[in-house]
Amino acid sequence: MRENVVEIKNLHYSYEEQAVLDGIDLTVKQGEFLGIVGPNGSGKSTLVKCILGLLKPQAGEVLLFGQPVRTLGERSRIGYVSQKSNSFNSGFPATVREVVASGLYGSLGLFRRMKKQDWEKVEEVIDQVGLSAFRDQNIGKLSGGQQQRAFIARALVSDPRLLVLDEPTVGIDAKSTAQFYDLLAVLHREEGLTLLMVTHDLSVLSSHVDRVACLNKRLTFHGRPDEFERKQTEILSATYGHEIQLVSHGH
Amino acid sequence: MIEMLFQFEWMRNALLAGVMIGLISPLVGVYLVVRRMSLIADALSHVTLSGVAAGLLLQKDFAWAGWLNPIYLGMVFSVIGSVFVEQLRRLYRTFQEIAIPIILSGGVGLGVVLISAANGFNVDIAGYLFGSILAVGRQELLLMAVVSGIVLLFLLIFYKELFALSFDEEHAFLTGIPRRLLNFLFIVVVALVIAASIRVVGILLVSALMTIPVAASLQFTNSFRQTCIWSVIFAQIAVLCGLFAAYYLNWASGGTIVLVSIVIFLLILLIKKSLFLFRRRKIG
Repeated sequence: MRENVVEIKNLHYSYEEQAVLDGIDLTVKQGEFLGIVGPNGSGKSTLVKCILGLLKPQAGEVLLFGQPVRTLGERSRIGYVSQKSNSFNSGFPATVREVVASGLYGSLGLFRRMKKQDWEKVEEVIDQVGLSAFRDQNIGKLSGGQQQRAFIARALVSDPRLLVLDEPTVGIDAKSTAQFYDLLAVLHREEGLTLLMVTHDLSVLSSHVDRVACLNKRLTFHGRPDEFERKQTEILSATYGHEIQLVSHGH
Repeated sequence: MIEMLFQFEWMRNALLAGVMIGLISPLVGVYLVVRRMSLIADALSHVTLSGVAAGLLLQKDFAWAGWLNPIYLGMVFSVIGSVFVEQLRRLYRTFQEIAIPIILSGGVGLGVVLISAANGFNVDIAGYLFGSILAVGRQELLLMAVVSGIVLLFLLIFYKELFALSFDEEHAFLTGIPRRLLNFLFIVVVALVIAASIRVVGILLVSALMTIPVAASLQFTNSFRQTCIWSVIFAQIAVLCGLFAAYYLNWASGGTIVLVSIVIFLLILLIKKSLFLFRRRKIG
């Protein structure tokens, strides 16, 4: 049986009196690609923060690789890519290579310097995300899609076994978004990486992910994408509170 | 002509002090600027003023405190102030700049009270406010050397962690970098640099060497490493040209150093602008 990479048991989180997550149970198995959708304010980002151990839930627990997240020693096993807009200052003087290398610093540990093989790994992931021509470019001068690929590289450089993405394509044009999903597909299918992605983009669900979770304080659906497509109208009206039309981009 | 200057011990001391401060100030400044904390330096320099005032008061009232250079107490106050800054920044995470007016006005308030309590000082407090590098003594030079050593060691050892924290603090934390410890150590190091550089540029101008050379390098550098290197180069030019200019023109040394760094900054802007116009004309 495949290992549970993420295991969430009866998770409750509230900001003061306001419950944001109410009794979430969710598992992601090794090699799975889970897409989480839900309206604004449905608790998607809070869920991601609980999974990463940035927030401490009031009840329930999050296990990563079978261990409670807050005591997980090897943080390098988790890669994280956040929304582009709020993750960094675009005037920051750093090249793609410097940013990608910074993904290794935590796992290298204090008092250790980057060695030759560490730099080779940096070059390797830069090639993998298709930014070879930009390695010495300032990160702020790249396009939004290229920046997100650089952040994927920063997450990949420490060889994670789980990649968590929080609305990674917000504010990125359609063509770059498509390239971005293609890159994720390669990582998932060819490298067998476990992926957990929060997204607004419903069109990506059917074509890329293995499982879909719909969230609005509670999980309103958790299953395969074909099942999701079949029962879409009911699921979405249960999740979003009213009937919405799924716009297909026809990938 | 320049050789003549080295005959004087005070000029040798001033040059050494300037070179040391021109090395550590911009290096720490790069991190302050990219983390949008440049004004913290100003806040801490004003806290240092209250420490210096307390030191002068002690010297005046108690004979045993005669050996105590007021800059030591300035350093202690600055470090205590830096701990407060870090606490306030954590308390008001969403509007961290609030720490600046609180600490700054607190420092000035205490300084003014201490100065008035002493009914003015024999020692010219203006030397601390505006810098008096030409009066740097052996003891102060030694202090600067020790501080510079500590600061350089710190920046060298934690270069990669400080970079990751400055670029993306949340991500750095997630990859296992000890955020709180390093932020704390960093702000203490900033406090030490400020206290050590007060003799060179003065309390009111201390943030200049931390920010202006960095602002100039940010105009044209791509990488973080380049930014560090160019900031140091610009600061060194500012310190050396400023010192010589101050000597020959009989200007205040601190002010001259700051003015030279502003001139460098403006020159870089001008060069950048002309290159841009030149290229556009070529294409057009």
